[in-house]
Amino acid sequence: MKYSEIDVAVIGSGPAGMAAAIKAKEEGAEHVLIFERQEQLGGLLHQCIHNGFGLLYFGQDLTGPEYAHRFAEKVRDLGIEVLLETMVTQIASDRKLTAINNRNGVIHLQPKSIILTMGCRERSRGQLAIPGTRPAGIFTAGTAQRLVNVEGFVPGKRVVILGSGDIGMIMARRLTLEGAEVKAVVEILPYVGGLTRNEVQCLHDFQIPLLLQHTVTQIHGEQRIKAVTIAKVDDEKRPIPNTEKTIECDTLLLSVGLIPENELSRMAGVELDPLTGGPMVDPFRETNVSGIFAGGNVVHVHDLVDHVSWEAEIAGASAAQFVRKGKVEKKKKILIKPGENIRYVVPQTIHTQQDVTLFARVKEMEENVQLKIGDILSQPLRVVKPGEMLRMELSQSQLTGLKEGTNELMVECRKRR
Amino acid sequence: METEVLIIGGGVLGAVVARELSRYKVDVILVEKEADFGWGSTKTNMCIVCQGGDTLEFRPEYHRSKLVWTSMPLMEPLCQEIDVPFKRVGELALIRNNEELSKFQKLKARAEKLGMNGHQFIDQDTLRQMEPHVTRKAIGALFDPNIAVVDPVRLTIALIENAIQNGVDVKRETEVIEIDRGVNQFEVQTSRGTIQCRYIVNAAGTSVDKIARFVDADDFVLYPIRGYVGILDKNLGDLVKHEIHMRPDEIGQMNILTPSVHGNLFFGTTMQPAMRGDYSTTRKIAQIGLKNLQKIVPDLSEKDLINAFAGFLMFRNWEVGWHECVVQPSRKVPRFINICIGYPGVSAAPATGREVIELLQREGLKLESNPKFNPTRKAPPVFNQLSEEKQRELISKDMRYGHVVCRCETVTEGEIVAAIQRGATTLDGIKFRTRAGMGRCQGGFCTPRVVKILSRELGVNEGKITKKGWNSHLLLYKSKELIEAQT
Repeated sequence: MKYSEIDVAVIGSGPAGMAAAIKAKEEGAEHVLIFERQEQLGGLLHQCIHNGFGLLYFGQDLTGPEYAHRFAEKVRDLGIEVLLETMVTQIASDRKLTAINNRNGVIHLQPKSIILTMGCRERSRGQLAIPGTRPAGIFTAGTAQRLVNVEGFVPGKRVVILGSGDIGMIMARRLTLEGAEVKAVVEILPYVGGLTRNEVQCLHDFQIPLLLQHTVTQIHGEQRIKAVTIAKVDDEKRPIPNTEKTIECDTLLLSVGLIPENELSRMAGVELDPLTGGPMVDPFRETNVSGIFAGGNVVHVHDLVDHVSWEAEIAGASAAQFVRKGKVEKKKKILIKPGENIRYVVPQTIHTQQDVTLFARVKEMEENVQLKIGDILSQPLRVVKPGEMLRMELSQSQLTGLKEGTNELMVECRKRR
Repeated sequence: METEVLIIGGGVLGAVVARELSRYKVDVILVEKEADFGWGSTKTNMCIVCQGGDTLEFRPEYHRSKLVWTSMPLMEPLCQEIDVPFKRVGELALIRNNEELSKFQKLKARAEKLGMNGHQFIDQDTLRQMEPHVTRKAIGALFDPNIAVVDPVRLTIALIENAIQNGVDVKRETEVIEIDRGVNQFEVQTSRGTIQCRYIVNAAGTSVDKIARFVDADDFVLYPIRGYVGILDKNLGDLVKHEIHMRPDEIGQMNILTPSVHGNLFFGTTMQPAMRGDYSTTRKIAQIGLKNLQKIVPDLSEKDLINAFAGFLMFRNWEVGWHECVVQPSRKVPRFINICIGYPGVSAAPATGREVIELLQREGLKLESNPKFNPTRKAPPVFNQLSEEKQRELISKDMRYGHVVCRCETVTEGEIVAAIQRGATTLDGIKFRTRAGMGRCQGGFCTPRVVKILSRELGVNEGKITKKGWNSHLLLYKSKELIEAQT
């Protein structure tokens, strides 16, 4: 393949990138090229050796590598081009792209369209400003996951985990299975940050102590971490004096949030939503920069990998249409606004021409609520949690039936009286 | 082991003395207790090169002032000679009211009287043009075009490399445990054996008084004051272009925001007395820091912060003057020279190096020039700062430069290998020499990869790789090891 003829360039080959590339190819884009910085397709899926992948997408319970393998086979069968161990270093708003690898050196190309599927990264200790010393033995949960599952090392045997994101809870179980003692999972909120199913299967089933409304207030140890001080927090998340307790440990894992990875998006002039940390997109997953699309965790951090692939497919199909027609056709635009107890909604704008699925996350856990979108949808929910995404379907007829002059819809999640 | 001169401490001051001594035919050993150079006060500061005259605490009669301002013109040529980045950013001291204005007028007059030129007052409109994001509360600023920034750790490593090139012997992870004073020599016990020497240059940073006390050469008092520095995401790199500071509203606070040579912004927050060696940070300080930062640039938030660290300034006492330094032979012990600038050590380093040579000579050291001395040292390539043509050339010569290991800072395997060949042995060593792990993900992605490369290049098991030397091992067990131990 000549790099001058690329129709769709896909940045990253995780569950989003591969799904987007496959869809673009299936929808008629001829020259599809995936850039992957690692040695193989699949991104972070390779270190996710636990199950729970593919339940929605394949109707089967798969591990991460199995899920990746299914997509990778399809990538190969469809003749999608792949550049492995290749890092995209720059994207400009005219879609000029620069990449580096050790075989081609510096690569330049200007594909007809680009799909951003770089995924997300973990929030680090520095960003949390966790006080204390700077010893060895503090890892993000995802780094520890790679060390254990890919590199074959167990970072330590007495572990405290700060934060109860999904990777943190999964690593609590994984390290327990490796013979380490997970002394506590410490969560500042009154509920876990990840999925309920992980709380049950990874913590409760293994009797790992979960300390809600607690946080780490100090890290001890000069060379290797020796202990952490934890404390209860009040409703404003402030540590409560005289509730401090010291836990001895040789390892601290952080599972305190994921951030969409949008450095390349920024370079390309893609407008980001401060609420999601990802690009502002429409239902076609097109960004404000014409011909640049985005899908998966680069747009917003999903709860299930199946949703990641599903969202990226939309971007793939749209990119193919863009290549075919020179643009994605869009009818009347409506802004979607997050209202009460809604942290964000994706896509941030919709168009009235087709059915659309909205994803949202709530700010706080709440029971017995009414989920509303403007006055076209209203549904009761027993419980909403920040760790679990809300999914709302709007049909084309609901949208075309909107009052004349409606150019904004508010999504709200109110407590039922 | 025997040597003529032993330098204790491989921070910027020890390094600059080592390099100055390498101009002469004399045996020199430098010992450093950490696993790499510049990891004490050198690494924990704001990276600013100033001339001292710009602060209101400035006292022309201080020895420190003389060292700082004679260093200023020496710093840029030094950085060129040993190939380290130096960026003249200029300084804006914000003025919020007439009271501050009159203080700065006095300061400017004083600086000019001492021959430090270039200060100029700028009005609000000009300030806004120069720095559009700075607080509207500033009615103007005092501009000093001379102020620059450097990377103190790279500067130190370059000085050490140049010193090694010219014959100095350096030993790392070598802590001084005891010093015995003989008739004509010192016997220095270290964690790696005994060193006999005739002269000692004590540049042990925050431990300078502790080292001096071994032979009762501690004829000075130092009080450690802890300062905090925050690092902002590179995305905000061009938010401000100058080093900007504002007079603190409360004693002990610092309102300084400055670009670095690498494109991050640093901000200084606050100073307080603390146990020396305690580099820990606290939540409260982080909050104060952010509040102070917002006084300068109101739209910054905690989201922009990628890390924070603590560092020490050493203060004297009121009798000699709080801000005076120690660069003097011990009054009680011959051939024993104590050096501690307190702050700003990096700024004062070039002149201090020269002065220590004079002090050693005065103490009796005979110095004959080293005909083989080569003042230049070449830095290893920094991939992301090369032109594309150079990048291609490098990759075609060595494929490892085409393999990006740290995605945030675009650091390649080639650079990491080069750093190891030049002496890096630890994860933090790689971080400070190449910036791998210094970006916004703070090593989340590259840590396992860097450990692997270190293990391969050093020929040791990955379990032996440390974060920062000594017992700071990163990976304590192999997988299945714990399970097998239980059964």
